[in-house]
Amino acid sequence: MMWLSSGFVFRRGTSAYHRLDPRVKLLISVLMFATTLLVRSLYELAAVLAFMIAVAAIATVLRRVAKTMVFTATFSLIIFVVNFVVTRNLGTSLLYASRFVAIVVSTSLFFITTSPDELEQVMKTFRLPRDVVFAFVTAVRFIPVMFLDTIQIMDAQKSRGLELEKGNLFRRVRNMIPILIPLVVNSVVRSGELAEAMESRAYGAVPRPTSLVEYKARATDRVVAVAAIVLFAIAAYSFYFVLPARIL
Amino acid sequence: MIEFQDVTYVHQNGVRALDGVSLSIGSGETVAIVGENGAGKTTLVKHVTGLLKPATGNVLVDGQNTRETSTAQLSRKVGVAFQNPDHQLFSESVEEEMSFALRNFGFPPPLVEQRVKWGLELFGLEEYRKSSPLVLSGGEKKRLTLACILAWDPEVVILDEPTVGQDSIQKEKLSGTIRMLTSSGKTVVVVSHDIEFLWPMQPRVVVMKAGRVLGDGPAARLMQDRGLLESARVAQPQLVEFYEHLVERPNSPFADPLEARRWVEGRAR
Repeated sequence: MMWLSSGFVFRRGTSAYHRLDPRVKLLISVLMFATTLLVRSLYELAAVLAFMIAVAAIATVLRRVAKTMVFTATFSLIIFVVNFVVTRNLGTSLLYASRFVAIVVSTSLFFITTSPDELEQVMKTFRLPRDVVFAFVTAVRFIPVMFLDTIQIMDAQKSRGLELEKGNLFRRVRNMIPILIPLVVNSVVRSGELAEAMESRAYGAVPRPTSLVEYKARATDRVVAVAAIVLFAIAAYSFYFVLPARIL
Repeated sequence: MIEFQDVTYVHQNGVRALDGVSLSIGSGETVAIVGENGAGKTTLVKHVTGLLKPATGNVLVDGQNTRETSTAQLSRKVGVAFQNPDHQLFSESVEEEMSFALRNFGFPPPLVEQRVKWGLELFGLEEYRKSSPLVLSGGEKKRLTLACILAWDPEVVILDEPTVGQDSIQKEKLSGTIRMLTSSGKTVVVVSHDIEFLWPMQPRVVVMKAGRVLGDGPAARLMQDRGLLESARVAQPQLVEFYEHLVERPNSPFADPLEARRWVEGRAR
C-alpha cells in the first residue's frame, strides 16, 4: 500500500512539469514506456532510466520516484529469478527485471503529476464513454481513501489482539482476512452510496454534459510535445541502427 | 495507569498532532477528552495502545513504555472501541465477531462462550447471535464493537465517539455502561464531541486544542469556564448555560448546575 501511495497517488505540485498540459504528460509517459520496450541492451536501458530520473527531478518528485523504484525492486527480483531459472541467461534476466522498473517509473511519473481532474480531461479527449471515464477516475481518486481505510482497519484489528507480522506465510495470509473483508465491504457500500449520490445530482441526465475546465495547449506544451517525439525518434533510431545489439 | 510524558507526534504530512502533551490518568478514573476536530484527541488515544509511537516523549501504560511493547500485548490491558464500527466487523456471525479477540488472546473455549453470552446480553444483541454483523444497523454495530471490547475485560476502556449514530435510549444505556465500568474499577477514557452526553457523568475533562492540553480538571469546574470552552470551540452543556442564566438573577434557586439538572429531571418525570 505504501508503494501504491508513493508511486501512483497524485499530490499537488508547482513544478513546470506539473503545469504541463495533461495530454503532453501522457504523451511523454507513453513515449518513455515505448522506449523501454525498444531497448535491446542494459546500457540503453540505463540511459532511458537516467532520462526518467531527470524528468522526475524537473517535476520535483525524485524522492517519490526513488521510493517507487525501491519497492518495485522486490517484484523485479522475482522477474529476474524466474527468468534466470527458465533461460539461464544472466543478461536477458537482468534486462527484463530492470525493464519492469523502468515501465513502472514511466507510468508512475504520469500518475503522480496528474490530478484525477486532469486525468478525466485526458480520457475525454479520447472520446471514451463517460461511464468508463468516471469509473476509472473515481477508482484513482479513491486510492488515498482506501489507503486510509486500510490503516484504520489495521489499527482496529491490532487493538483486538491481531498480530499481522506473526507466524508462517500461511498464517500471515490468513491474518489478512480481518483486514480485507471490512475493506471490501466498505468499498462496496461506498460505491453504492456514491452511485446514489451521483444519480441524485443528475448524473446521466444529458448525454453530453458541459465541463468546468477546458484544456488548451500552450506554446510551451507544443514545444515539449514535439521535443519528446523527436527524442523518442532519435532513441529508437539509435537503438536499432547505431548502437550494437548486445545485452551486456 | 496511563502516563503521557511530554509527548509530541508529527503526522507524515508534517502536521504536529500532539505538541508536548503531559497527562496522567489514574486507575479507575473516568476521563473525557474533548476538543474540536483535529485537536489531537484520537491521536492521543492511539498512543495508549501503541498504534502510534511518540516522536518525542514517552507513553507509559501500567509502567510499560509503549515504545517497547507491541499493540497486541498492550491491547490485553487496553480495549479501544473505534469511531467507525465498519472498520472492524468482518466475521460470519455476531458471536464469532465477539469471540475474535478472545481467541487471539488464547481464552479457553468455555470462557469464550461465557464472555460472548455476557456481552450479547449486556448490549441487547442476543437475537442477532447467529446473524452477520454486517447486516446490523449503525447503532447495533456500534454496540457490538463495544461488546467485543468489554468481552475480554480490559483494565482500560477507550471509547472514541461512542454516541455517534445512537438514539437517546441507547445513549442512556451507554452512559449506564460507563458508570458500571467505573464502579467496577475500570479506567474509562471517552473521546467525544457530545458534551450533553458527557456532562451528567461528571468525569474529569481534558480539553484539547491543536495538539495541546488547554484545560484539565473536573467537569463541574471546566464546563463553567466559558473562556476555555470558547477558545477550544467546545459547546457549554445546556444545563450549565441554564444555571448560569439563573444565577445572574437574585435568589437563584440552584446552588450548582447539577442541582439544576436534578430539578429538570424531576420535572420531566
